[in-house]
Amino acid sequence: MIHTAALLFYIGAFALWVRFLWSGSRGRGPLLASVLALLGVVLHGTSLALFYLEHDELPLVGPGAALSSLAFVGGLALLVLLPLREVARVAIVLLPFVIVLQAVALAIGVRPAAAAIDFQGAGFILHVAFAFAGFQAFALACAAGTLYLIQFHELKTKRIGKIFRFTPPLATLDTLGRVGVWSGLVCLSLSLSLGWAWTLTYRDSLEITDPKVVWSVLSWFTFLGVVVARRLGDQPEYRGAVAAVLGFGVVVATFLVLRVTVGAEGLFL
Amino acid sequence: MTLVVVGVSHRTAPIDVRERFWFGPEEASRALLNLRSEDGIEEAVLLSTCNRTEVYLFPSDGETAIQAVERMLARKVGPLEDDLRSYLFQHQGQDAAQHLFRVSSGLDSMVTGEAEIQGQVREAYARSTELPIEPPMAGPVLNRLFQMSLAVGGRVRAETGLGEGAASVASVAVELAKKIFGSLRGKNVLILGAGATGELIVEALAREGAEGVIVANRTYERAVNLAERLHGHAIHFDRLPDGVASADIVLSSTAAPHAVLSRRVLYQAFPGGIRQPLFVIDIAIPRDVDPAVGDEPNVFLYNLDDLQQIVDEHVQVRRGAVPAAGRLIEAQLGEFSDWLASQEVVPLIRDLRGRGEEIRGRELERLYRRLPELSEEERERVEEFSKRFLNKLLHDPTIRLRKGLPHGDPGDLVETVRFLYGLEDLEEYEEDRVGREGGAFTEEQGSARVGAEEGVDPEEDDVGEEEGDKGKGGEGNERPEPRGSSGRGGPGISAARPAGRSGQRRK
Repeated sequence: MIHTAALLFYIGAFALWVRFLWSGSRGRGPLLASVLALLGVVLHGTSLALFYLEHDELPLVGPGAALSSLAFVGGLALLVLLPLREVARVAIVLLPFVIVLQAVALAIGVRPAAAAIDFQGAGFILHVAFAFAGFQAFALACAAGTLYLIQFHELKTKRIGKIFRFTPPLATLDTLGRVGVWSGLVCLSLSLSLGWAWTLTYRDSLEITDPKVVWSVLSWFTFLGVVVARRLGDQPEYRGAVAAVLGFGVVVATFLVLRVTVGAEGLFL
Repeated sequence: MTLVVVGVSHRTAPIDVRERFWFGPEEASRALLNLRSEDGIEEAVLLSTCNRTEVYLFPSDGETAIQAVERMLARKVGPLEDDLRSYLFQHQGQDAAQHLFRVSSGLDSMVTGEAEIQGQVREAYARSTELPIEPPMAGPVLNRLFQMSLAVGGRVRAETGLGEGAASVASVAVELAKKIFGSLRGKNVLILGAGATGELIVEALAREGAEGVIVANRTYERAVNLAERLHGHAIHFDRLPDGVASADIVLSSTAAPHAVLSRRVLYQAFPGGIRQPLFVIDIAIPRDVDPAVGDEPNVFLYNLDDLQQIVDEHVQVRRGAVPAAGRLIEAQLGEFSDWLASQEVVPLIRDLRGRGEEIRGRELERLYRRLPELSEEERERVEEFSKRFLNKLLHDPTIRLRKGLPHGDPGDLVETVRFLYGLEDLEEYEEDRVGREGGAFTEEQGSARVGAEEGVDPEEDDVGEEEGDKGKGGEGNERPEPRGSSGRGGPGISAARPAGRSGQRRK
């Protein structure tokens, strides 16, 4: 119930952002949207805390619970952006991502993992937390990249309308994208290192064939590819934006393919 | 008392006249202090910009105050070709408030929706509040008026399209530059040519933080001159690629008959490719920049037509927003009028309640004298009853007074109620009562009292009192007839009221 309420608040916040864009960036839309997003995150956090209290298991392993936690990290990222005035407008791209994650989580059910969990500890929790933070940072880079490409198009084609007014400056979006990709890469690197430290300690293996590991390694190389793409040749900002959008698409697509083909029942992957 | 505005604006006077009315900040402060010395001017704010000089007043006597302002303005401008009054406009009452709301919102500006006026109104208001004078020049009414005008100005800009987009070529250029670079702090501007519009754009960019100005002109001396004015440096025209390479923004306004900035120059400037965005503004006719330059991936090229088209679109949007802005202003105006009207009835309600309390107290005293056997508890109950009774009796009139008449002048309502309840000269009555209680009232007062109470001794005759309650005298028996009972508020009441609460409401 609380999960659903959080989702509704996210949807409400998104609707207000769309309305604000549609009205030519006038009115108090951002303020109200921020309040709704804040309420959504508070409810979301409460629901995840209740999940833990009820099942004595962190919501990090079961697919529904893990997706909901991933959405929650996205919500937290939104909260960080909200006070940053124009930058907060990235929420119009980031919120749908959070909404879809939470909706899918609710559709498949926020339940404990089917498999017995014998590996929870600080290292594991940090591993998952860094992974989620990394993917959300990458989602943020993708959102900034999307808006960058839109604004670039508006400026090039001289369409000075509602979208132009709503979208933050190119330089701001570029900075946000750069921060997103770099922090994503760092977080994912830490997550992989912690994960491998754990598997080596308890299972004496790197578990390279585990779908989760395959996905994480692929994602890490994608992140790296985006960072490298920014540094080669001219127009680094534009190329960085394209790479962030494509790279994030690759990460999501890879997850879906692995989930459908080799994902374990009852686990995130 | 009523609100008044007197002044000149771009609607009533040409610029050569308007500029003579302009008050600098210190001059405005002096003028306000001088106005205070004029009879009847209690509150005043002087707004002076390049497009208007307006004095807002809340005087005790409108006509006298207007004359004082006219004298002040006449002293300021000296002899004019035409009569001073032919350039002046004036509004009173609600029209004056509406005028200020329109000014603050930019509806009355030369460029509809321009934002600068909001800051100028704020400064003018602040000047009046900060003047070292007591009571302050911006008293309760002008305080409220200006705060509301600033609020409505903000709402109009935030909620309608009136302030949307830039409405001049220079400000559009700045808006575009900010959408590309975010902050313009530390950005370099290269100017090709030395036109006036170009200078305006550079100044606008500099106001936003653009710093390094490089000027290139075919005539090097002209480049040096312009560079000195803009605190930049000049380069020879043949070093154009170097200038382009170090610029974030290129502004071209030469009189050259052919393109001076081509792809070839760009490639010379950036042999390794254009890594950073380059904003190129071409305001020359014929164009200075080869349109192919705009095809380069990191170059944003805008010519004069592009900029003008954006200006036109913004102006269209602003015009379309005027009705919505008008509705916001009307709503705010309604709120202000209600507030002002409520200020007018506050003293009346206080007097009405005071009168009721006074009668209640007196009647209780009388009752206790007649019924000395009443216990403490019974007295408390009687007291409780009398309070509730009075409150219930006055509740509806109080609410209705605050709401005012659906139509008509709130001042009329105040006067009517004062007349009905005999509150026109309450102060005089109070003096009279004190005199009676102290046994020292004048012959005139005494005879008025005797006349009023003739044949009835309320202290002794219960029947008379009951009949009075039924409409045969009542309260009239215990107080003198008001002097000049035409209902035009007595001087005592006016003195007791704060500014703006007079029964003598001027229009």
